[in-house]
Amino acid sequence: MAQGKLKIAFYWAASCGGCEIAVLDINEKILDVVQIADIVFWPVAMDIKYKDVEAMPDKYIDVCFFNGGIRNSEQEHMAKLLRQKSKILIAYGACAHLGGVPGLANLHNKKEIFEKAYMSTFSTDNPNKVTPKPKVHVKEGELEIPEFYDTVKTLDQTVEVDYYVPGCPPAVERTLYAIDAIAKGNLPPKGSVLAPLKSVCDDCSRKKENKKISKIYRVYEKVPEPEKCLLEQGILCMGPATRGGCGARCLNADMPCTGCGGPCPNAPEQGAAMISALASILGLEEEKEKYTEDEVEKLVTQIRDPVGTFYMYGLPASILKRKVMRE
Amino acid sequence: MGESKVGAVLVVGGGVAGIQAALDLADSGFKVYLADQSPSIGGVMAQLDKTFPTNDCSMCILAPKLVAAGRHPNITLITNSEVVGLNGEAGNFEVKIRKRSRYINEDKCNGCGLCAQKCPVEAIDTYNKGLTDRSAVYVEFPQAVPLRFKIDREKCIGCRTCQEVCKANAVEYYQKDSEVILNVGSIILAPGFEPFDARLKSEYGYGRYQNVVTSIEFERILSASGPYGGIVLRPSDGEIPRKIAFVQCVGSRDAQLGNNYCSAACCMYSIKEAIIAKEHVPTKLECTIFYMDIRAYGKEFDAYYKRAKEEYGIQFVRSRVASITEDQSTGNLFVHYVGEDETPRIEEFDMIILSTGMQPPKDVEKLAKVLGIKLNKYRFCETGAFTPLETSKPGIYVCGAFSSPKDIPESVAQASAAASKAMAIIAPERGKLVTVKEAPPEIDVGQEEPRIGVFICHCGINIGGIVRVPEVVEYAKKLPNVVYAEDNLYTCSDDTQKRIREKIKEHNLNRVVVASCTPRTHEPLFRETVREAGLNPYLFEMANIRDQCSWVHMHEPEEATEKAKDLVRSVVAKARLLKPLKNPTVKVTPVGLVIGGGVSGMTAALELANQGFEVHLVEREKELGGHLKKIYYVLEGEDPQEYLRRLVKAVMEHERIHVYLGASVVEVNGFVGNFKSKILHNGEEKQVEHGIVIVATGATEYKPKEYLYGEDTRVLTQHELEEKLAEGKFNAKKVVMIQCVGARNEERPNCARICCGQAIKNALKIKELNPDADVYVLYKDVRSYGFKEEYYREAAAKGVLFISYSDEKKPKVTNESGKLKLAFWEPVLKQEIQMEPDIVVLSAATIPNPDNKRIAEMLKVPLTKDGFFLEAHMKLRPVDFQTDGVFLCGMAHSPKFIEESISQACAAAARAATILSKKELEMEGIVANVDEDLCSGCRICEYLCPYGAIEMKEKDGKLVAHVIEALCKGCGVCGTACPTKAIILGHFTTEEILAQVRAVLKEMEAIAA
Amino acid sequence: MSSQKEFEPKIVGFLCNWCSYAGADLAGVSRIQYPPNIRIIRVMCSGRIDPAFILEALKNGADGVLVAGCHLPSDCHYISGNFKALRRVTLLKKVLEEFGIEPERVRLEWVSASEGDKFAAVVRDMVEQIKKLGPNPLKMEAKQT
Repeated sequence: MAQGKLKIAFYWAASCGGCEIAVLDINEKILDVVQIADIVFWPVAMDIKYKDVEAMPDKYIDVCFFNGGIRNSEQEHMAKLLRQKSKILIAYGACAHLGGVPGLANLHNKKEIFEKAYMSTFSTDNPNKVTPKPKVHVKEGELEIPEFYDTVKTLDQTVEVDYYVPGCPPAVERTLYAIDAIAKGNLPPKGSVLAPLKSVCDDCSRKKENKKISKIYRVYEKVPEPEKCLLEQGILCMGPATRGGCGARCLNADMPCTGCGGPCPNAPEQGAAMISALASILGLEEEKEKYTEDEVEKLVTQIRDPVGTFYMYGLPASILKRKVMRE
Repeated sequence: MGESKVGAVLVVGGGVAGIQAALDLADSGFKVYLADQSPSIGGVMAQLDKTFPTNDCSMCILAPKLVAAGRHPNITLITNSEVVGLNGEAGNFEVKIRKRSRYINEDKCNGCGLCAQKCPVEAIDTYNKGLTDRSAVYVEFPQAVPLRFKIDREKCIGCRTCQEVCKANAVEYYQKDSEVILNVGSIILAPGFEPFDARLKSEYGYGRYQNVVTSIEFERILSASGPYGGIVLRPSDGEIPRKIAFVQCVGSRDAQLGNNYCSAACCMYSIKEAIIAKEHVPTKLECTIFYMDIRAYGKEFDAYYKRAKEEYGIQFVRSRVASITEDQSTGNLFVHYVGEDETPRIEEFDMIILSTGMQPPKDVEKLAKVLGIKLNKYRFCETGAFTPLETSKPGIYVCGAFSSPKDIPESVAQASAAASKAMAIIAPERGKLVTVKEAPPEIDVGQEEPRIGVFICHCGINIGGIVRVPEVVEYAKKLPNVVYAEDNLYTCSDDTQKRIREKIKEHNLNRVVVASCTPRTHEPLFRETVREAGLNPYLFEMANIRDQCSWVHMHEPEEATEKAKDLVRSVVAKARLLKPLKNPTVKVTPVGLVIGGGVSGMTAALELANQGFEVHLVEREKELGGHLKKIYYVLEGEDPQEYLRRLVKAVMEHERIHVYLGASVVEVNGFVGNFKSKILHNGEEKQVEHGIVIVATGATEYKPKEYLYGEDTRVLTQHELEEKLAEGKFNAKKVVMIQCVGARNEERPNCARICCGQAIKNALKIKELNPDADVYVLYKDVRSYGFKEEYYREAAAKGVLFISYSDEKKPKVTNESGKLKLAFWEPVLKQEIQMEPDIVVLSAATIPNPDNKRIAEMLKVPLTKDGFFLEAHMKLRPVDFQTDGVFLCGMAHSPKFIEESISQACAAAARAATILSKKELEMEGIVANVDEDLCSGCRICEYLCPYGAIEMKEKDGKLVAHVIEALCKGCGVCGTACPTKAIILGHFTTEEILAQVRAVLKEMEAIAA
Repeated sequence: MSSQKEFEPKIVGFLCNWCSYAGADLAGVSRIQYPPNIRIIRVMCSGRIDPAFILEALKNGADGVLVAGCHLPSDCHYISGNFKALRRVTLLKKVLEEFGIEPERVRLEWVSASEGDKFAAVVRDMVEQIKKLGPNPLKMEAKQT
């Protein structure tokens, strides 16, 4: 890296803000960061204006940690701007990496979302059916707010991304790993996800013995045995199809993995990988002479909210990216 | 010359039995000549629609065997031929074979079929049993092996159109018959059977009434590739029948015809045909089967019979049909029969199927005379009760329906068994006559940019007449990484193979694509070609632009050409990513382990030892013999105890057999070729290494809980009776035997197969000792199948009374103040009969060895619901397990007679020999592989593998999956399920298939990126 | 009458080698004609057909996807790959529905080696059905953006 301190930026796009907190989760290590780096842009913590960023020379920022997906014009603008100003752009957290939970909005479009958010929810009182418009004339002049898009995109569907730090939010060890690699200047090839190659199962200490299931339980329907693989107990766990490096924290708390780490490196898609894996073992024991298509239908119907399950974080990054909308 | 032996075998008959025998021999290092009278192999099974009791599609399971036999480097097919002379003796025969002319040069014909399309003659299609027409130049069926046409000169009008259209110049109008002399060490006869000529039962009207068909004709009617495309229609008017009947025992069990035997398979195939017919006819179809006894004696057969009755509602009427008449105005038929209540009845049906029995093929006497073998009185091959595979002439063996009527799995088992016998006498010659192909060293293309050569076939005018081939060639030239493309008249011809090899050199091609017919038949040929040019055979890929393009879009040349381009583009996209694959090899320990020392285990061990392999034979009891120790007579008259003594002696004295008595196998590790097991013997664990396992754990007699057994000493089982008879302690005057005790009931739904024979045997013995003794046999169905039927008749003739009973009216046995009383329902008199028998003999079922469960778990092989071992495939792999290198035989498989156990034991030995005879096993290169850097040990794949090829092993303190390449069959189920895609299936990688998908849908600019 | 050509769907077929691909070959050998809308990709077993392949085909503009394997329960050359295909496709169709893609675009059929006519009938029927459904909506969308 260049002599002197590194220049670091953080940005928050379409996400919940958890990633901002995750940066702080590294606790006293933040002091080490400050030792080696100057934070040049961090809207949540520092008063630096967009115009200040615009004024920076290109590639001025050494590393930009960008969290959140791209769902409006402001985010798109900032993504492009920060790309231009940064040597290394890191998609930080599931939303930037895969679209994340906000990406589930890709099951709808702007029209549907506005209708829901601004008109039809129980607590909304909006008799004039006012919805946000990019430009509004008021007596003081013209107001501009960012344009809301139909589709949530991942950061790399918008600009070129150098590295990804997975997780919702990224685990402390992932953040530290990234910072360490940057500090030491030993980053892997461009385009890498800064996580181990294996899945959450590799992190998970639960015993895996016999993966044949016939009944699926929702989390609240069953108190899981403490040391046994949750999937083997019929609790849908995305761990097998999810890139690890998170320490399997959810599993340690008796909760199944919901897939925030994204797909494993060889898998074309996380959702399809889990669909294939799960369908393979679901009802495996019952395969026999008289196994009708109806029975299979019943087996499969046990899975509630399939897209929510298999694409909770990855819908914008999936093969189909979004729901097809029709008039 | 006379003393030297020859490592080659002639198999006469190319049905499923002949094919199996040929494959086993060829896979064990012997040269095989497979001769058949027909122009192609496959026999009767190729004509069947489905097979019982699994309803597998017959052609689906047979076709891979046809192809395997057709392509095997050690098998030479001699079709359209007959054996006309024999000299020499066992170990060194000289056989003269006459090859009848096809009028088509076999080497030039490539089966493109243009001749048949243009032939103006319509001849009767024998494959479809005369229900459709074919041309005078023909193949029997589309999947025929060898796929070579033949001119039927009797029908041919000599117009020479075929000669004009044949681009391969294969038509040789004046081709003469020829003779070849083969030098072989042994001969296997598998000429099969032919269906009884139903015309001879004139009272059934076959040949006069159009809607009376035979069972084999009905198979064709049911078949999707049959005359009506799988729609059940009646021949007279093409109407869908609503009510059909099956008439059993046509040409079987018929003393008038002199066919005093049961054809063994007809009951089951009729049930199957009835079930399939019901499935095929969308509207309601009533099926009735007129039968004498339903002989559902095989493994899981009764469960199938039950389903036919209960689920499918098929009617079963016990009656011999007297005659059939026709209503000329409607074509409907009247069945005249006597009902179970002895009253004559007439019932109307739309269509009738005659279940024709099996009889030896017509020219069999000639064959027998040429070979000098004896036939029995029904013209089947004569064999002995303990020598079911030996003909009367040493060195000549028999299998399949020619030795007695039988179904497919028994024919297949006997075929392997005959192979074992045939190879044993020439064992030292193993490997001497087989061809080993030398190929040049493989060029390493690992880091090179793909350089693809594309060869596009016109297939005469089959492709080129519709698809604009030159345009496709020009298109292919522009595809990414394609450096050479050309078209060929026939890409499969010998000269094109040479050309492909030259072009590979000339243009430094490192991938080859052929667009022509189907990879199912031609991929192996082209792989060989690229291999001969120094490329790894997996750097080849095929596009199917004939069978799946030009032939199915004959009137749309434009679209067909576009489709051909799409297909070529898709396959080229895959070819760019192809990687060389190595065929994995595993070393083989040439030693067998046989579990169980009964007649099956001993026979298997002896067969293996006679073939030159070392064997460990483990028996739980203190002495060898198993079930056979309790058998003192057999129906056929031979002495089983004498046979047992000889067998035990041979085993004990054999230098290559290690016998462990009072011992058990307690641990089995490893896989095919490389097992390591522990035998607990005399309190010590001994470790042995072996290449295969044969399970021959036998079965035991059921100890009845019914009919006062165990409470009254006058109630015995058949075995106990047999012992009394043998010891001369028998003196009862009135004997009642009750059949199906502990079988065909709720708990054990299946038939125990051998008890009817046992009862007849013991009844005859009683009659022999005391002709005045009264013997009653209370039965559900008398299942004296095959030649055992004769003894049933003999017993009946000697006054043994056979009375049927049903589950609703079971006999009752009571002890009334010391008197043994028996009451049963007499169905003809319609009243209950009381009697006081001296003894009651229970035909107790044969039930699985209780140790099976432990052994099954140890070997990771499955059991049936009944607790017998479950083979890999009920039809075609009767002695194999799904797990390679593990075999089964004898009563561990299901109850069976001694000769059947012997056949299966020999079969298991032959199948084992296909492994043990090799120093190392070479596996197919398309196998799954685990990337251990990605595998996260989730174990999703582990239980999906039907072959047990995935095991978990430890790496860095964690579990990762490992594929045992030797067991992997390359289906890809594991890798598709693998959520991390750590498992990669060679040649069908996710990357390759995705590239194919994208390419087939996108224009080429898009894929170049 | 519009001069525009009638919509001709593109169908990708994933066929297992032993039954369905053989059945498709038999259709050819028997010269049974069917519409030229299908492009077949051969796999050894229907158990090799990954849901990702189907998604990828749809994404790339396939109007329909045919998955064909050996008949249940026991025709499968690899014993039980067809069962895996059945469950995977059934589950995938649920997901497709949520993605706004008509599940009927993906069709699972059992075709044996002797069912050349059935194969042809399936293709014919599928082409008809998809003509009624119209083009793959993803294609329309791709054009719009």
